[in-house]
Amino acid sequence: MRDNTMSTETPGPNITSRPSGRAARERMYRYVLLLCAATSILVTVSIVVLLARDAITFFTLVNPVDFFTGTEFLISRNVYGLLPLLSGTLLVTVISAVIALPTGVAAAVYLSEYASDQMRSVLKPGLEILAGIPTVVYGIFALVYVTPFLQTIGLPVNTFNILSASIMVGIMIIPMVSSLSEDAMSAVPDSLRQAGYGMGATKFEVTTGVVVPAAASGIFSSFILALSRAIGETMIVVVAAGSRPRMLNLSDPLANLFQGYQPMTAAMVQINSADSVSQLGFTSLFAIGLTLFVITFLLNLLSNRIAARYREEYE
Amino acid sequence: MATREPETGWHGEDSDVNHLRGRAFEATCLAATAFGLVSVLLLLLFVANDAFRPFSADAGWLATYAATVLVPLAALAVYYYRLDEPAGEVAYVTSGLPVVGLLLTGGFAVLFIELLSVLEWFALLISLVVAGGLIAAHGRLRPKAALERLAVVLLAPIVTVFGLPPTSFNRFVTDTAAALGLDFGLYYRVISLREAIMMLPFVPTDWVMLLLTLVLPVAGAAGWFVEQRRESRRDGLAVVGLTTAVAVVGVVAGPLLGIGTDVWLLVVTFAVLPLGVYVEGVLRRGEGVRGLAFPVAAVLGVVVGSVVTGALGFAGPDPWLDWGFLTSATSRTAADAGIYPAMVGSVMMIIVIVLTTFPVGVGAAIYLEEYAPSQGLMGKFVTLIEINIGNLAGVPSVVYGLLGLALFIRVLQWPQGSVIVAGLAVGLLILPIVIISAQEAIRSVPDSFRQASYGMGATRWQTIRQVVLPEALPGILTGTILALGRAIGETAPLLMIGAAASVRLAPNSFFDVASMMPRQIFSWSSELDPSFRHGVLAAGVITLLAVLLVMNATAIVIRNRYQRTG
Repeated sequence: MRDNTMSTETPGPNITSRPSGRAARERMYRYVLLLCAATSILVTVSIVVLLARDAITFFTLVNPVDFFTGTEFLISRNVYGLLPLLSGTLLVTVISAVIALPTGVAAAVYLSEYASDQMRSVLKPGLEILAGIPTVVYGIFALVYVTPFLQTIGLPVNTFNILSASIMVGIMIIPMVSSLSEDAMSAVPDSLRQAGYGMGATKFEVTTGVVVPAAASGIFSSFILALSRAIGETMIVVVAAGSRPRMLNLSDPLANLFQGYQPMTAAMVQINSADSVSQLGFTSLFAIGLTLFVITFLLNLLSNRIAARYREEYE
Repeated sequence: MATREPETGWHGEDSDVNHLRGRAFEATCLAATAFGLVSVLLLLLFVANDAFRPFSADAGWLATYAATVLVPLAALAVYYYRLDEPAGEVAYVTSGLPVVGLLLTGGFAVLFIELLSVLEWFALLISLVVAGGLIAAHGRLRPKAALERLAVVLLAPIVTVFGLPPTSFNRFVTDTAAALGLDFGLYYRVISLREAIMMLPFVPTDWVMLLLTLVLPVAGAAGWFVEQRRESRRDGLAVVGLTTAVAVVGVVAGPLLGIGTDVWLLVVTFAVLPLGVYVEGVLRRGEGVRGLAFPVAAVLGVVVGSVVTGALGFAGPDPWLDWGFLTSATSRTAADAGIYPAMVGSVMMIIVIVLTTFPVGVGAAIYLEEYAPSQGLMGKFVTLIEINIGNLAGVPSVVYGLLGLALFIRVLQWPQGSVIVAGLAVGLLILPIVIISAQEAIRSVPDSFRQASYGMGATRWQTIRQVVLPEALPGILTGTILALGRAIGETAPLLMIGAAASVRLAPNSFFDVASMMPRQIFSWSSELDPSFRHGVLAAGVITLLAVLLVMNATAIVIRNRYQRTG
């Protein structure tokens, strides 16, 4: 942020002809611009207030304990249990994390430590492009191309399944992990690497033993941001993961992957676009939305905290 | 520091093993980097194959075009890459500019076809100019009255224009007023300048109006730019004169060639003019002139290819993505389905976003970078705003959709699924991105520029307007275009605010229910028919991605061209 030693008032001797009108105008611009900046606070407040308003209506009719611990979600029978939706969200998050976190960190290591300038100039914009593809397109990839591919290689997946959706979510969040982790690794000063080499360590040892631990807080905060993105991802799961809320099947974990689930975001879309839905069912939309907002908001805060708090300061 | 203690002895004693391990590690990391890229590239190839069906063409057709277009262009590309880098950039820009220009032409053509007639545009622009004149005149006459000025700034455009481009805004205002029991008869009694022009018994023909209100201003801006760059008034005037001449010639000759005059004027404004200025600059500087061979070779190749295939009777492919797809509405039968109304919806949504989000976002960034105090109560508030913006950028898009649903539809009672609601909801979604990128652009302007301006007695606002904003503009534009790219592809908010699954008629007012490209694509994705799933859907995806690609490439070119070095 800019330090405020510069005064807004015109300096003492008035060079300009009409100081009073000018000062008033300066003040006006300042307030108009402040109003623009304050809009962002207004957005957050209106999200919380408007979502809470209908969510509270919902919770006066449905016991919050039942909502958060219920194992069945069936609007047609007015049964609102969040756990099946959470199962879907959890599955997507875990599978995509398994794909994206190691891949993203490895990519960051390559870009920050190994890549030549020429490779970087190709790979970095390439990864940015991955982040710029609309999520509905990823969803279509999953439904139309990945699922049939999984079927041809012999996996018993349904038409709508959580596996192909999660694979695409994973690919989508790779750039998020890689770019933030790479920033953290590039911030590790060269003197640390040199010290490592000076002790006779190989490049591999310097990378895994010095650079990655030194950048750990940045890497970790990128993980959390990526998870938060996976939790909030909507279109991929709407298109490819199906529309059946389902509890995790703990007795046969592998079978879970091949079935369709309905994560929270997908449930929100379905409730909203359903033709006939009761008033109570409609307000459940806001209860789910508020839960989602709180989860992602907390994760983002946590990520910022980790990045700020455990950052190793150099120099 | 977290370096591990070496367990025994020196490192590197077992150097062979270490060497292998290092190599394997590097290869793994490279594979990880490439994994996402390669898999998406493969998927894109599948989609492109479904959309264009190149293998439905005769082998001879493919061979002809490979020989006339692909091989020469590939050879040129290799040559530029190896030997003549500046020419490579010229080739890139001269091939890209017409594409961007034609995209803009398409956008404006859609605007004139669906949203407002040329006369309405003419009246609107004249009214705005008059409003600007009023504000300027007031500034001259009563320079001290700041509050009065605020009133004039707000009221002058309202009085002269009275509403937004579509006349339905007037209806909306009167209807809302009537619904609240406040019937001022606004629409009938206070006739704005715009409406007065609309009612004139004699108006110039369409092309004269377009020439006056679109071609000449844009040519004037280009002329001013050239004049500034070369410090030659003559060159600037030449640009304006030549553009006008080309435009008029086209208007006269166009009907003979079967080109509509309005389309011709748009093409001149958005494609011919920028390309002409750029090519002239390249020729005059004499740098990378060989790059001009690339677009020429491309056009020649296509012409020769079509002549040869026509003569030999090779049949071309039968792609899903063709002119018919771009210009027709969706349909139950895959062969007739098109994306046109959804494209119009997307264009109109972008207009709403540009008009609302862009000023607010840039304003917020200016405040945070140039005004925000760092101490005291306001300082705390500003820190809160900054943290809040960071967090808003991470809020899932579906939540913004829910916000749009709750705020605009349930509280304000605006029509469900209308363009304006969609634009505002998606606009709120990209607001934090616009703010953050504009902040970065403003921050990159060196402080010495500001100090110099203050030193000359400029006030803070004058410094911002005359020094900081012009310097930061390329960066702001880059960030905004990238954010708009994000906005075009967002689907979840559109679903939440109830954008139509598919519409037959393009919207022609901001309060009409509309569908947008990604929304339309999503509706197609639930069709089970393989000709939808592997045809229309793929064509829609490619259309959307092509628009995004052009926008992102534009942003990158702007960034590279004006990037501050050092």
